[in-house]
Amino acid sequence: MENALGIWGPQAIMMAVTASFTIFGMIMLLAAVFMGRRWNPGYSVEVAFVALMLGLAYYADFLSVKTYAAYQENMNSEEKKVSGNYTGQGEAAFDQVVTVIAFQWGFGFINEENELSRNAVIVKPGEKVLFKIVSNDVIHGFNIPVAQITAEIDPDDKRELWIKAPDTPGKYLIQCVNYCGVGHAQMKAWLVVQGEEPTASLKTNGENTNGGA
Amino acid sequence: MAGHDTTVRGFDAHWTPKDILGEMTLKTLMFSNDYRHIALKGIFTSFIMLAAGGFFALVFRSELALPGVDFLGAKVYMTLMTLHGMVMVFGFLIPLTVSINYYILPKILGTEKLIWAGAAQWSYWILILAAVLLVIGRPDFTWTAYAPMSFRTGNPYLWMGHVAILLVAISEFLAGAVLFRNAISGKGGWSKTPLMAWAAGTIGLLFMVSTLPLGFIGYGLLSDWAQWNPTAYFDPSRGGSIRFFLYTFWTYGHPAVYLPFVPAIAIIYTIMPRFLGHPMWSYWSGVIAFILLSIGAMPIGPHHFQPVYTISGDYERFVQILTMLVFIPSVLHVFNWISSLFMAPIPDSARRAIPFKFMVMSIAFIVYGGATAFLNAQIAPDSDFIHNTYWIPAHFHAMFFGFSGQMAFAGFYFLYPYFTGRMYNQAMANWHFWLWQVGLFIKITGMGVAGYLYFPRWVYDYLPDMPGWAEAQLFITIGGFMVGLGFIFFVVNIVWSSKYGKTVDDDPWPIVMNDNEAAEAAAAPAE
Repeated sequence: MENALGIWGPQAIMMAVTASFTIFGMIMLLAAVFMGRRWNPGYSVEVAFVALMLGLAYYADFLSVKTYAAYQENMNSEEKKVSGNYTGQGEAAFDQVVTVIAFQWGFGFINEENELSRNAVIVKPGEKVLFKIVSNDVIHGFNIPVAQITAEIDPDDKRELWIKAPDTPGKYLIQCVNYCGVGHAQMKAWLVVQGEEPTASLKTNGENTNGGA
Repeated sequence: MAGHDTTVRGFDAHWTPKDILGEMTLKTLMFSNDYRHIALKGIFTSFIMLAAGGFFALVFRSELALPGVDFLGAKVYMTLMTLHGMVMVFGFLIPLTVSINYYILPKILGTEKLIWAGAAQWSYWILILAAVLLVIGRPDFTWTAYAPMSFRTGNPYLWMGHVAILLVAISEFLAGAVLFRNAISGKGGWSKTPLMAWAAGTIGLLFMVSTLPLGFIGYGLLSDWAQWNPTAYFDPSRGGSIRFFLYTFWTYGHPAVYLPFVPAIAIIYTIMPRFLGHPMWSYWSGVIAFILLSIGAMPIGPHHFQPVYTISGDYERFVQILTMLVFIPSVLHVFNWISSLFMAPIPDSARRAIPFKFMVMSIAFIVYGGATAFLNAQIAPDSDFIHNTYWIPAHFHAMFFGFSGQMAFAGFYFLYPYFTGRMYNQAMANWHFWLWQVGLFIKITGMGVAGYLYFPRWVYDYLPDMPGWAEAQLFITIGGFMVGLGFIFFVVNIVWSSKYGKTVDDDPWPIVMNDNEAAEAAAAPAE
């Protein structure tokens, strides 16, 4: 599934950079302790190293901001259409806008027809869905693992996220990731991706169990 | 073996080995202002805290090992989790690293006494009071005590948790004042000040500044819980602000991770030259790194939460850039250590010494936990899989335990012969060492993998059919129990060796460059 934040794009680059940095550090430490040959680096090596770090910080900031700004830009430009005069047409608009109320302990979803459902939201395969999330009690989290998005929901604020729903029909986990009280572990909901076929018996990984619970 | 030569810079951390521990009475334990007595009191209390915090961890680790197992329930699980976090950070790590600094600082500064020892005593006893309150009150709001959840958890003794936070702030403020006061007592100007004193000076200031917001958090939570004021500080339903809470808390919360971190770094700068037999690669690089680290600590606090109203705005970007820049002092430190190891042959005596082994591995863990944290600083991956998943415990267990905790243990093993007059048992210490390295690596890597698979923090049970979750949790639990077993080896070792260990007379850490040459020398009778 195409991820809203693009995990295989810039983030994969940063993960590779980070992993190489870790491995490089380990190799240098091992060499320093076990290698027979000795090396006394000058200050120029340290300066070069700091310069490398500065360069990495610049590059990481550039990539991260570019990625996140693209995600946000997508939302902002489409948000105007949605909340201004939503036509339901045009490539840019979202297929669905869902208001989410995070509470102790669960999620309430209100769709465009003003239908309220608790702990489940129904979307179509491949749909672009905008979530407008609020919390009325304490700080909550909102995480959809399959859509690779995580957010913190503060009671002071309204938070907006969009995802592209998976193409495979199924039941996907939505969970709270911020400790919000004793029922935190139960604070789960389902992103139900409903194709043409009924989805009553879907496992959490999206496979059809043909008559399971 | 030749006597200890303290004229060489960096070799000052040397005492005459003596059974200080055995000579301590209840009276010296309670009231003595001798720096070694105060330090030993802090060190051994922190081990009791570690045993308690570790026990809590193993209990809830057993609960998490398999999905569906539920013998604790949410309330008890969260209480244990909260106590684990608070006891480990406030009760074990900070007091242990600070106490080891108390032990070493007066010696290497040549003052031979802890200035403002009374404040150190107050700091100790106030912390004990906080720990007692925590155990009685059993709060379940996690160590971050996020408002407004932290005064709405339906526990009648919740105020004890809030008062404990306030007391921890006072205790840490006093500890910081003592560190700072001692750091500036050195003779011979700035360039003659040992690196540990630079660390104590900068972190002492940071202690004093950063505990002010923590104290206010403790008071504010208590006040909001008791509804003392018509308008709340943090309760949005009574006009308070959660943003205010978050910014205030994390203004303390990020420096809080440096409070054990910097004293642990200071221990490296003190004992590495002792084992290698030459000064550190660079003195000023270390000084600059200490200063930069302290300056950078407070403004980057907001990276711990998502300032949602500015998620892609300039402020969040500012925090992101600053967070990545605060890597530079850590890189300066690590570069300095690896270069010190690299610049000259490592004596065989160092390779054998348990403190040195722990030191090398703690550097490995700072590389592991620190370099991977370069991702945490960035908004995009943070919004993807990092924020509040198990990736975060992986990061801070690598830094807190893998680095700071293990470095503190290196310091403890280093000091052990000095205050007992006896050497630890090498075989048991090796068991401790290897169980911890393997256990910690399994635990931290398991947590990182679980985080990458979106395992949420603070849950006592989880879905069995999410890919990889159950396997990762089982691995973490196995790692946790290995760490627990290593701790048992450690306790047995220090108790047994304090009575039956080989006695040490002069320098417990003589430098033997080559064991073969030393064996020939040993064939001749000792001088």
